[in-house]
Amino acid sequence: MENTIQSATTNQLDVKFQMRPGATAAEITLKPGQKLTAEGGAMIAKSMAIQMTTSTQQKKSGGIIKGLKRLVSGENFFLNHYVAPAEGGKLWLGATHIGDMEQKELHGENLIIQGGSFVACTENVSIDASWQGFKNLVSKESLFWVKASGHGTVIFNSFGAIYKLEVDGEHIVDTGHIVAFEETLAFTLTKAGKSWVSSVLGGEGLVCKFKGKGIVWVQSHNSSSFGSTLGPQLKPR
Amino acid sequence: MNVKIEANPAFAYLDIELAPGETIVSEADAMATMSSELDMTAKFNGGFFQGISRKLLGGESMFVNHFTNNTSKSLKLTLTQATPGDMECKVLNNETYCLEGGAYVASEPGIKLGLRWAGFGSFIAREGLFKLIVKGTGKVYFGAYGGIVEREVKGEYIVDSGHLVGYEKDMQLKPKLSNGIIGSITSGEGFVTKVTGNGKIYLQTRNLSGLASWVNRHL
Repeated sequence: MENTIQSATTNQLDVKFQMRPGATAAEITLKPGQKLTAEGGAMIAKSMAIQMTTSTQQKKSGGIIKGLKRLVSGENFFLNHYVAPAEGGKLWLGATHIGDMEQKELHGENLIIQGGSFVACTENVSIDASWQGFKNLVSKESLFWVKASGHGTVIFNSFGAIYKLEVDGEHIVDTGHIVAFEETLAFTLTKAGKSWVSSVLGGEGLVCKFKGKGIVWVQSHNSSSFGSTLGPQLKPR
Repeated sequence: MNVKIEANPAFAYLDIELAPGETIVSEADAMATMSSELDMTAKFNGGFFQGISRKLLGGESMFVNHFTNNTSKSLKLTLTQATPGDMECKVLNNETYCLEGGAYVASEPGIKLGLRWAGFGSFIAREGLFKLIVKGTGKVYFGAYGGIVEREVKGEYIVDSGHLVGYEKDMQLKPKLSNGIIGSITSGEGFVTKVTGNGKIYLQTRNLSGLASWVNRHL
């Protein structure tokens, strides 16, 4: 956990990850006038004088039927925009699941982040929730993805521990374990085993095969696997 | 084969390096990442009938995955479990050991998985009519919800139902009222399990049905 302290040099975000890795929260110190965009619901606490506005981003993954469902249910990807006052301020961000957080500096490159893992980004990073690279994803995980691009800091969280997988060549990652990956990597959805039969019977289904050179951030646990272990013990609502 | 348990105790997963020719067997859906050159084959776990009975009677998955390195260089693989918690390695030397449902994560190919009649006592204690056994020679990796505590039992020991993860094959599990009828209700312990025998048991410090019943009260 080398980057516990990320000190502010120029316009970098001052983030300290607290309570790692079990119940990580991001303690962010905003400089006067500094702006930050965070996922709706991520805020734990903030200085009184930090201003907040909300915007929505339409999620577009999952095909026509799911898109229609979202239209009806009005389910959107909410982003909250925070602006620090003249004296600066403090903002604490958390996540739904127990687990860790990581940050990544973007210098013009693109990062694809699993929708539920996106926590926050600085002003000059744009977030596109309509990224559809996995649009044909027929997987048990109903995931959506956001593309972060630009210059600045991105923060994301994981269910469980988070580890970097440096791909050089080809590597397979279960879709439910992907937190984020560099868009320098090419990817295809494929079978995990030698045959489709093995992939389905072995419970892996579709997995993501990354090709090229780049980093994938992997989470140790899969929230839908945990959900389907706990789910059968819950009473119907 | 080089296997490391990483990110324990909260989020343990297995970081594995397979040398050429090596195979590791895992529970279905345990793979998080793997080198694309590894061969993954789903197989009936311990043969057709064992596989089916393990699914129907033991509540486990019917298939296990065999990951084999058929290349001439070492390849990487990470395996995980569904619940956050710790993992442990048990070395068997032509022995048999019992694991609770859901605890099994992975094993070396010298280990066979099977089922054994556990008795009605085990059923009443909500531990199931059958117990999952691992036998043979090699390493077995199993996981838990929460931390894993190891206990050496001589004679008798009381554990709460749902916290037992692994135990010796000759141990008897019997349900028992924790403290008489009134005491069992008021203490909140209800049925406990009396473990009789000698050897090592593993306990988990959390219990998934405990979490489920807490969530259920809020639904």
